[in-house]
Amino acid sequence: MKVSKLWLDKFFDAPLPDAQTLADALTFHAFEIDSIEQVEGSRTSLTSLTDWVLDVKVTPNRGHDCLSHRGIAKELSAILKIPLVNDPLSSRSDLLPKTTEVTVDIQRTVLCKRYIAGYIKGVTVGPSPQWLKRRLEAVGQRSINNVVDATNFVMFNLGQPLHAFDAHKLWEGLTFPSVGKVRPSQTIGVRLAKDGEVMEALDKKKYALKDSMLVITAGDKAVGIAGVKGGMPAAIDESTKDIVIESANFDGVSVRKTAQSLKLRTDASTRFEQVLSPELAAYGTQSVVELIQKLAGGELAGYADAYPEPQKPMYANVTVEKVNKVLGTTLTGAEVSDAFTRLGLPYKEESGVFEVQVPFERLDIAIPEDLIEEVARIVGYDKIPATPLPTFSGEVEVNKNFYAAEKAREELGSRGYSEVFTSVFADKGERMVLNKADSVRPYLRDSLLPGLTEALAKNKPNKDLLGLTEVKLFELGTVWKGGKERVMLGTVSEKQKASEKAPEPVDAAAYETLPLSSAVRFEPFSKYPYIVRDIAMWTSPTNNEQQVQQTIQKEAGPLAVKISLFDRFEKEGKVSLAYRVIFQSFEKTLTEAEANEAMDKVSAALKAQGYEIR
Amino acid sequence: MAEEIKRGHLHPISSLIREANAIFMQMGFTFAEGPLVEDEVHNFDMLNVPKDHPARDMQDTFFMKGEPGAVLRTHTSPVQVRYMEAQIKKGVKPPYSVIVPGKVFRNEATDMTHEAEFFQIEGLAVGEDVSLAQLKGTLEHFFKALFKDASVEIRFRPSFFPFTEPSVEVDMRLVGEGAPEKLRGRWIEMMGAGMVHPSVLQNAGVDPKQYQGFAFGMGLDRLALLRSGIDDVRHMHSADLRFINQF
Repeated sequence: MKVSKLWLDKFFDAPLPDAQTLADALTFHAFEIDSIEQVEGSRTSLTSLTDWVLDVKVTPNRGHDCLSHRGIAKELSAILKIPLVNDPLSSRSDLLPKTTEVTVDIQRTVLCKRYIAGYIKGVTVGPSPQWLKRRLEAVGQRSINNVVDATNFVMFNLGQPLHAFDAHKLWEGLTFPSVGKVRPSQTIGVRLAKDGEVMEALDKKKYALKDSMLVITAGDKAVGIAGVKGGMPAAIDESTKDIVIESANFDGVSVRKTAQSLKLRTDASTRFEQVLSPELAAYGTQSVVELIQKLAGGELAGYADAYPEPQKPMYANVTVEKVNKVLGTTLTGAEVSDAFTRLGLPYKEESGVFEVQVPFERLDIAIPEDLIEEVARIVGYDKIPATPLPTFSGEVEVNKNFYAAEKAREELGSRGYSEVFTSVFADKGERMVLNKADSVRPYLRDSLLPGLTEALAKNKPNKDLLGLTEVKLFELGTVWKGGKERVMLGTVSEKQKASEKAPEPVDAAAYETLPLSSAVRFEPFSKYPYIVRDIAMWTSPTNNEQQVQQTIQKEAGPLAVKISLFDRFEKEGKVSLAYRVIFQSFEKTLTEAEANEAMDKVSAALKAQGYEIR
Repeated sequence: MAEEIKRGHLHPISSLIREANAIFMQMGFTFAEGPLVEDEVHNFDMLNVPKDHPARDMQDTFFMKGEPGAVLRTHTSPVQVRYMEAQIKKGVKPPYSVIVPGKVFRNEATDMTHEAEFFQIEGLAVGEDVSLAQLKGTLEHFFKALFKDASVEIRFRPSFFPFTEPSVEVDMRLVGEGAPEKLRGRWIEMMGAGMVHPSVLQNAGVDPKQYQGFAFGMGLDRLALLRSGIDDVRHMHSADLRFINQF
């Protein structure tokens, strides 16, 4: 979630510290920060309008309250110990006056816990003021008009998605039977879509809906996909006079499935997916109605609130003793209460037990461990000591399969076999996966042999480069055969065809100490082919063989990546030396001519030193 | 010239598992295993991952065709539950401490830093007073033993996993002359960890009122990459001796 620093400042008496300080505070006490970006403000202005935008990675347990500037401001207030002076959620929202001109009819209260319709008459739709455009642009939003911008602003401010309908378009052409003296009422409905029902959304695309998706209706005509996107039929435009503001609570799972299925993830759907408190809807609507009246005028006719089952108060308990037992700390009751106070978690303390009344938006807090986490991150994880586990004196049970595998690795290693891992995915097998991202080799292998055979073929051409006389490979890997999952041990070499067997588990009292890899740093290798050249010569037994090799290296140059003595014999008082030189470049495929040229230089130099090239 | 048999090479992941097992064994951790084709109950449900969690979405998890409820395990964490269940069944109560090195799967396109199959090592310690401080001590000991020549620092950052509460990210920093130059002085994200969620203990049959514990899960491929300066994670499954024979 993108968060603007200038926007956050509005929650406090004085500007917050610099963006980097805020990023660090959040990183070590709340959320990771994906990026910090500087946003330049308008050049014509005399005051500095430079803003900083933090991309905050809000964790899934905090989507309830922290996909909003208010949520992040509240975190910063707790972490930095700066009072949150302007908290829009601190006062009660009473939703007055009520209106009877609009009614709300929720058919599926399981999927829509609350729906508030706010009815404003006589607005003037027009461009937004500069400050609002800047706020929205800072967080990557485009300004549309004052009414729509107000709904977006409040969503990014409080986390409550909102939508504005053109009231005239909603009920255009519908007739309302008048019952007695009661004024005809205009109804907003919430129902499941009909299979194949089509609605044109505000993105001007037509969406074919399914009967698992929730829609907003007026006179049974779909005017919005609940929690995802509003519809064209009741879109706000310059001629709009009367509006209905939707502030609702839709089921997270339902919204997620709908958005996924329509491939239409929106800022609204991302928030509903995370599950919001139905209480938040009231704050959202009051806040947006106030803002719209400020920006676009109009008169509030009132609210219609369908909220059949209000959210119950939430409580969670924890003791200081439990906090310390779980964290391994020695925090005092005062430190625990300080953390709760800073977080704005009201509590009662009685004989070491903290009973916290959980704010309605903190749906993540239910069990003692949730409160312990709150204490830990506010106190700071750097305050948690590093304590060793109690000294272990018993015997650790030896894993028979691992022991057997380690034995096999040792035995094969001593015989010159190197260990490979090949993919468990194969072209054939008894079982397969449903949905492989790269859609090749969807089967689970039933044997190690094809993979090993392929690996052998792949490695053979590199034998000289590797300095091997024979490529020998083994793999300890899982296969799925005969309805069973089991680990097999497979081997292959140039002389022995691939074969596999199930390693027998071995009972042992203790593991043996086996050698570890000695590599310090990995050396990248070239992906280009290499060229092999051999050179043999007669030398006298008194000659320094090391010097010969140095001469070859010097003359062959840096493209000679490997030089090895592969044959040496003595005959009639003379010594024959045969060297293999491997040429390879990191940049290109070498030509025969390049290798020959280098070898010519080698030959010339060796001849000049008095050796007889064979 | 007489042909001598050159010793073969151990895969760097096997070497790392061997080394990790030796270090953890001294702290009392047992080596445990579990199946690669796992049921959703162990891979998700019992680990407190709700049915509608995005992690269950098609793009992350390999589902088995024609086997409803079967997946390729997305982490080594199901073995936490399997191990505890098996102990309770045998009548063995905590303390428990296990490590679970093994292969895991994510259904995603591969590139230099992502593989669809890779290795993780899971750690679990459960007892009457196993604490987050002990998690810090245990990991500090592990990294110190692994990076013998450098001095090692560990830090926690807040995080979220459904199966731990509190949850943390663990960063490591190597300082001093002995630290590999590329890593020296840099904080590196190593793993996710935390205190086992009481529901997970409960699901495995361990009484969360009496016992608590920590768990961690670390990518072994990444650890090997960092440690040896390997430039591409795909080398791990390449079966290419130009890679393996360097180890």
